[in-house]
Formats: sequence, C-alpha cells, structure tokens
Amino acid sequence: MIDFALKDLKGHRVRTILTGLGILIAITAIVSLGSISAGINEMVTSTTSKVGSDTIFIMKTFDFSEMSGPPTSWQISDISQEDVEAIKSLSGIKRAVPVLSKSLGGIMEVDAIDIDNLDIFGADDLTFKEGSMPGNDDQGAALGYTAAKILGVGAGDYITLNKKEVEVMGIIEEGYGSYDLVILLPYKYGEEIYDAEGEATQIMVEPQDVSLVDEIKNTVADEFEGLDAMTMEDALSMSKQMTQTLDIMTLGIGFIASLVAAIGIIITMYTSVLERRKQLGIMKAVGALRRTIMKQILEEALLISLISSLIGLGISFVFVDLINNVLLGGTKIAVITPLLGIGAVAYGVMITIISSLYPAWVAVKTDPIEAIRKG
Amino acid sequence: MKKVLFELKDVWKIYCMKGTETQALRDISLKIENGEYVAIVGQSGSGKSTLMHVIGCLDTPTRGSVVVDGKEISQLEDDDLAKIRREKIGFVFQAFNLIDSLTAAENVAMPMRFNGYGKAESIKRAKELLKRVGLEKRVDHKPNQLSGGEQQRVAICRALANDPEIILADEPTGNLDSRSGSEIIALMEELHKSGKTIIMVTHDQNLAKRAKRQIKLKDGQIVNE
Repeated sequence: MIDFALKDLKGHRVRTILTGLGILIAITAIVSLGSISAGINEMVTSTTSKVGSDTIFIMKTFDFSEMSGPPTSWQISDISQEDVEAIKSLSGIKRAVPVLSKSLGGIMEVDAIDIDNLDIFGADDLTFKEGSMPGNDDQGAALGYTAAKILGVGAGDYITLNKKEVEVMGIIEEGYGSYDLVILLPYKYGEEIYDAEGEATQIMVEPQDVSLVDEIKNTVADEFEGLDAMTMEDALSMSKQMTQTLDIMTLGIGFIASLVAAIGIIITMYTSVLERRKQLGIMKAVGALRRTIMKQILEEALLISLISSLIGLGISFVFVDLINNVLLGGTKIAVITPLLGIGAVAYGVMITIISSLYPAWVAVKTDPIEAIRKG
Repeated sequence: MKKVLFELKDVWKIYCMKGTETQALRDISLKIENGEYVAIVGQSGSGKSTLMHVIGCLDTPTRGSVVVDGKEISQLEDDDLAKIRREKIGFVFQAFNLIDSLTAAENVAMPMRFNGYGKAESIKRAKELLKRVGLEKRVDHKPNQLSGGEQQRVAICRALANDPEIILADEPTGNLDSRSGSEIIALMEELHKSGKTIIMVTHDQNLAKRAKRQIKLKDGQIVNE
C-alpha cells in the first residue's frame, strides 16, 4: 500500500523534508568526498600503468622545511649536472633520462624531457588534437588538453615560461590523465628556458634487468647524498596511502553525517508516529495487521530515503562538475563511479530504514482503544 | 435455530491503575444471535464501552470466555483479533474516526485494502457503498469537507466494506444533530432488515427502545434484559 505512504508524506511536506534533509546532506558529503578520492585513484592508476614497474625515479629528498604556501607552488630543487652525469654512468643501467619539472604555481606543470625517450614516461602514444610534438631540437612546447584550455591557446600561439616566449607547437588530445595538465618541452629547450644546463628534477632510470632494480636503488641511496630512488610501485603505494587517508576521512565524515541524519530520522519519524496515533489506532481497529502498520512506516522511510539520496547524488554531480570544470578548468580530479553512486544511495536507504525501525515498532504498538476514544 | 454470534461467559475486565483496581465488567454472561438488533444501555462509566470493546475483539477479558462466531478469542494475539475484526465486524464510532488525509472513498476502501483487495477494486466498491447512502457526489471529499451526518454515513460505509455480519455502533448519533441522527438510525434499521446483526451502545433511551433487545449495564454488571 505504497499509495497510503505517499499520501501521508505529501500531507506532511515539512515533516517529510526535515526527515529527508539529514540523509540528503550525508549522501552529498559522502559522494562528493568519495568522488575526489575515486578521481585521484583513477588518475594515478591511468598514469602509472603506462610506466613500466621496473622504472626507477631518482629525485631530491623532500625537504619539508623548504616548503611554504600551497603544495601546488612547491618547487622541487634540481639535481646537479654532476650527479646527473654520475647516475648516467652507473653500472647496470640501460638508460637514464633526466627530466626537468617546474610547477607553474597552479595545477599545471612543465616537463622538459628528451622527446626520443618519451616512452619511459609512457607518453610515446600521445595523439595530437592540433599540431604535433616538437622534435628534440625544436624550440617549442606541446600542451596537454586542459593546460591549453586553461591558458586559452592553440597551436601556433605563444605562452610565457620563466619570462620567455615559447611557441605552442601541438595540443595533445583529451584523456591522458595527468598529461592533460602538462606542458611538454624538449629537454634541451627546457635547459635553456630555465637556465639549468645538465640539471634535472628527476631522473628516470631503466635497468638492464629487473633483478638489478634493488641494487640500483641501494647504490643511489648509499652514494648520492640527498637523492632518493624509488620505483613506480613505491610511488603507487605512496599515492595509495594518500588516497587511503582521504578515504578514511570520507568514511569518518560520512559516518558522523549519517549518525546525525539517523538521529534526525528517529526523532521526526517518532514524532510523526505519535502525531498519528489516532490514525494508526483507527487502522488497527478496522483490521490492519501489525505487519501492515510496520510496512506503511517503512515504506514511508523508503520513499523519503530514496528521494533524498537521489537528490543528494544529484547535488554531488553538480559539485563534481564545479570542481572539475570551474575550479580546475576541465581536469577530471573528481569522479563519481557507479559503485560510489549506487553504494551511497543504498547506504542512505539502509540508514533510513534502520532508523525507522524503532518508530515503526512504536506505531505497531499503538492501542486502538486509546486511539478511538470518543472526542 | 439461529446461529449464536457472541457468547460471553463469566466475563470480567479489571484495570489496574497505580495500584487501584477498577472492575469495568463484572461477571457478564450473554448470548447474541445472528440477525439481532441489540442496544447496550447504561450511564457513562457503566462499562458499556468496555463491553463493546470486548465484543468487538478490540480488547480481551481479564477472566472468562468470549466466543465470537464459534471462536474463543480471550487468548488470541493482536493480529488474530484484527483478522476477526476486519472480516466479521464493522465499527461505527461516535467521533466517526475517519482518517483526515484520505478521501471518503479511500476511507471506505481501507478495510478492503487490509483484507487483501487491490486499490482499484476497493475504490470501486467504496464508491458503490457511498452511492447507496447518497454520497456519490462526495466520494473525493476529505472528512473535513463533509458535515457530521455525512462523515457518519462514510463511517457506516467503511463498516460495511468487507460485508461483515455484525455492525457495532458506539453512540453513533452522539455527535449529530437530531435530523442527521434520525437518518443514521434509519440507515441502521435498514441494515438490520437486510440481515445484519446490529449492536448499538447508547445512553439515549429513545434510541434504545427502537432496538429489539436491550441490555442494561450498571457498575459493570447486567442489571436487566
């Protein structure tokens, strides 16, 4: 008799809205926060899966005391030319590719790399929307799809890097994860732009054999002070840890939000049952079974929770769109996966139904005689 | 021989409130047969409403036996009592007791829905019943859009929804003006003629006299029949 439940909800709009509000907020919080974690996970996985798991990164040890301001403005200091050359000549190395990375103070990054060795980044399969990849001797840049969108430039235009005019030679197609935000330069041109001859912010090392990975990592750690070596797997597990922290935060906030929502539901549903004692008593007097009464209250809960969870999901989609398109100019940092969406709605319904069990039990216990007393 | 619908033997109903015992019914024994028109009369506090609740399977006795249509009900659970109520008994209350959020037709259809009938089927029969009492133009009105007399007629239709053998009416004219009251009584008498068993609780002697049988209660006991 879902029509009875619907009628009752319509008849008490304010009460219905108040009951659903808590769940709406909880679901919005869970899905919005969860979408960021899901998005980061997706981006990290799509980027790292392109790089071989035996590739070793070498970079300066993080010095947290040097970091101030937002993380996007942190500049990793360069590895000296001397160290770059020394690493290149280590034994057991097939190739060592220096990369010069510079943050642009936002979410975009400049990467200067030897174009012939792009495959070590997993970036040799990039396709171009406009123009093409500059060659190693060219003086120009290739821009990721989002980076080009943010800067509002196309192939043939100029951008300013380190106070120098740089020609845009190509725009990469959309959908390459973190490459969407990258400005790629040929390594030599990067050295020139940033006055960093022979330097690198990181060195990508491919060992001659997988079995040599640990040996190379150890050699770097022992012989080069201030340098760290890690494999893609190490990096992956680090970023996993980061998203795990975010997940725990999401769960924590979600838990508190749903606890508050649950208490709200118990109170409003309980009050609603008390208000309707007469109606429930009449229903029992004319032959409603206990399960009929229980069913009606739970059907009301189901309707409220479904509607508010879906509205919450809708708001989350708007939130994700705001983050991705307005705040980040088109990067898909927040993603609502089907599992997250469906899971959150199911969770919202579950919380509401569980919170309504006590009010429903009180409704079942209504004494018909008391309810139908004259007057 | 007529079928015995209600048989009460040595029925006591005792309420305990804060250590004080109140004997609402004391040693009541009576039989009501199919097709009777019975008035239960008495002053307020005489136990007539309690008796109606016990007869109507809304309450069970503290002691004694109550047999409704061949079934002993004094030990039954809530749901079993509810099943008897919805199948065998139609209630008419003094305060009408309609559900405010439902239309006249939906109020009438409600007991049928509880009895497992679908929405369309129940509403169709509800409208037929409302037509029989002259409310065909009021089927979609909410109780607060109806007069007292109209509300009571809706309540009678609700009582008839599952075509029960018995109509239990508790002061059905108590909240009505004399004209509406007469209409309701005429309706009750018509139902009696059509074969329903009518049991009416009232303190109005004139109404009671129109019944074929009177059961008078005083201090929880039957004083004369």
